[in-house]
Amino acid sequence: MIIAERKPMKELLSMVSGVKRLLIVGCRGCVAVCSAGGDKEVAILAAALRLGVKRAGGDIDIQQDTLIRQCDPEYIDPLNEKASGFDAVLSMACGVGVNFVADRCPGVNVLPALNTTFYGANLSSGEWKEMCAGCGACVLHLTGGLCPVARCAKSLSNGPCGGSQGGRCEINPDVACIWQQIYDKMSSMNRKEELRQIMPIRDWATAGHGGPRRRIREDLLP
Amino acid sequence: MSNIKGFCCNYTLSVDLDALKKEGLVPEGLEIERLPCTGRLEVPELLDAFTEGADAVFVVGCQVDKCHNLSGSYRASKRVKYAKKILEELDMDPGRVEMFFADRGETEPVVEAARVMSERASN
Repeated sequence: MIIAERKPMKELLSMVSGVKRLLIVGCRGCVAVCSAGGDKEVAILAAALRLGVKRAGGDIDIQQDTLIRQCDPEYIDPLNEKASGFDAVLSMACGVGVNFVADRCPGVNVLPALNTTFYGANLSSGEWKEMCAGCGACVLHLTGGLCPVARCAKSLSNGPCGGSQGGRCEINPDVACIWQQIYDKMSSMNRKEELRQIMPIRDWATAGHGGPRRRIREDLLP
Repeated sequence: MSNIKGFCCNYTLSVDLDALKKEGLVPEGLEIERLPCTGRLEVPELLDAFTEGADAVFVVGCQVDKCHNLSGSYRASKRVKYAKKILEELDMDPGRVEMFFADRGETEPVVEAARVMSERASN
């Protein structure tokens, strides 16, 4: 899922400075699952902003709403009406949601409440880890299911590099060397000989280096 | 006089607040909200208490391993922890919100919590 985290309160307070009527809009998609922008987080942010604005001597009317998703038109289009009368909409969706609201709701002054961080998995309650970079050219079948693009600090296709020591990455001893893990995993499956094959140079165009990406499935088009 | 807001569960405060005030055991500015369980408490309620004028806020729940609802007071303590983080981000003293644990039916820990928080509020 997409992992995100709330922006620092000071940044948010500065963003809404001068706003008299604010609508905070959460999302029940990924950001609700990673406890960044669901119903609960909307209520907490509303309370925190009310307190922060009051302490600064200001006054703000904050209303709350949470949409099923902010990445589908049927859920965000009603915002065109809902947001009328508000000076700003503070979206607690990932960056996709904020962009989509900005695209589809021309009269709405949409602001981001979250920093969208990565595609990750939930390791335990309150802990998430990056697992995928969304590079558009998956090589997981060659690496035992472990991603060298997202999980190697250098995104090496043919690792490990010289900075791998004792199974740890040179950037931080808390970070495992994913190429060591790939080697161990492939060995455990009697596939380590496959790693002798040099992976070809990657075409990074699929990773967004060729501009914003788009996917079309003809059979689903209206 | 400081305004102190306390949240207690039914099991940690069985004595009438007015009686405690009459005896001079708790500050005059103390207001207590009773909940079926402190696990019901959410972060916004803690923050709203400050917005509504409290100088300090405390929660008294059952001892962690003796909560009537198993994990209610533990959940409350985690919410208090997050409320502290937000207070810090707002340049407020995180010590102005605190979690206390008490044995069932004992009034003394509630009185002590009110005293501690009253002291913190006046600093």
